[in-house]
Amino acid sequence: MAKKSAAQAPLTPAVLHILLALSTGERHGYGIMKQVQADSQGKVKMGPGTLYGSIGRMIETGLVRESDKRVDPEMDDERRIYYEITGEGRAALEAELKRYRGVVAVAEGRFAYGH
Amino acid sequence: MATDATRRRYRAWYAMLLRMYPRPFRERFGEGMAQTFHDLCRERRDARRGLHGLAPWIFFETSVAIIRENTNYMSRLGKTMLLVALGALAVLMVPLVASRFVADWNWPAGAFVRVYVLFFATGMVFALVARRMGAWSYKAGVGVALLAGFALGWSTMVQTADSGHPERLWYLSVLVVGFIGVCVARLKARGLALTLFGMAAVLAMISVVLPSGAPSDMALRMAVGHGVLVALFTASGLLFRHASLAGVE
Repeated sequence: MAKKSAAQAPLTPAVLHILLALSTGERHGYGIMKQVQADSQGKVKMGPGTLYGSIGRMIETGLVRESDKRVDPEMDDERRIYYEITGEGRAALEAELKRYRGVVAVAEGRFAYGH
Repeated sequence: MATDATRRRYRAWYAMLLRMYPRPFRERFGEGMAQTFHDLCRERRDARRGLHGLAPWIFFETSVAIIRENTNYMSRLGKTMLLVALGALAVLMVPLVASRFVADWNWPAGAFVRVYVLFFATGMVFALVARRMGAWSYKAGVGVALLAGFALGWSTMVQTADSGHPERLWYLSVLVVGFIGVCVARLKARGLALTLFGMAAVLAMISVVLPSGAPSDMALRMAVGHGVLVALFTASGLLFRHASLAGVE
């Protein structure tokens, strides 16, 4: 059986949240963490181990890439590595959201019949 | 609220914990992870909250991730070793099969084992260095250098054994120069470029200065062979120089 590309394979919740956080622009590790927390209204709390482990695998599969090392003007004067979503990452995010929409449509259909 | 001393202590402990990641992972993400932990500590400080709730969770979460990364690393290393072992076996088939057809090629079984170990060690060096370095020019430089070094070492040993001219062992000094250069350069691209140019220069010098003591047709073949090796060492040096100029360390 042919191996699915990164854009076709279902994403783990951590990868989905990281892609979502990067979909609006480049961010450094702490920035991704805060964006994930904001996107999930505080429900998803990602530690550095999960975050950087996921980023490592996402770089390997071409979903994200390191973009730059620079100072964040809103923080201190330390230089931070920024990450950005790739074209393949964007395609994977869109495919995953489409899958979610499909699941939600099915669930809503059943919910409507059930009540 | 945590004091500065407490924050510093937690950061030092976290830095120690990060040392338990596999080296390639630590070198790539260790700084970012330490920085993120620092940012989280600062966020707590700004919110005038202590670290005793955050730190144990982060330490636990990172410890679980360390176990996962080490497991992945070992499994990938195992796969690499298996692939290199199979590749070395495939390459060993060349002398193994050739020795059946070439007269006077009577290697004992031990010689094949030693050659296999040599193939395997060369392949593992390339695989491990290539895993660490993402730049194509660095990987290609390592590949070409290993190929040329292997060819030089092999041909020198065979010619010395066949001809009984121990002075040909001088050619091995090229490899000694390479070994010292690699140790001094600590795998930095710029240092490796200089090392490879040095190896090319030493080989060219020995080829010119040292009398071959071989019949003229053999001497010509040796000169051509050494010319090719000088070109390969130089090409490898240029690849490392390219990697160095591209900012690869």
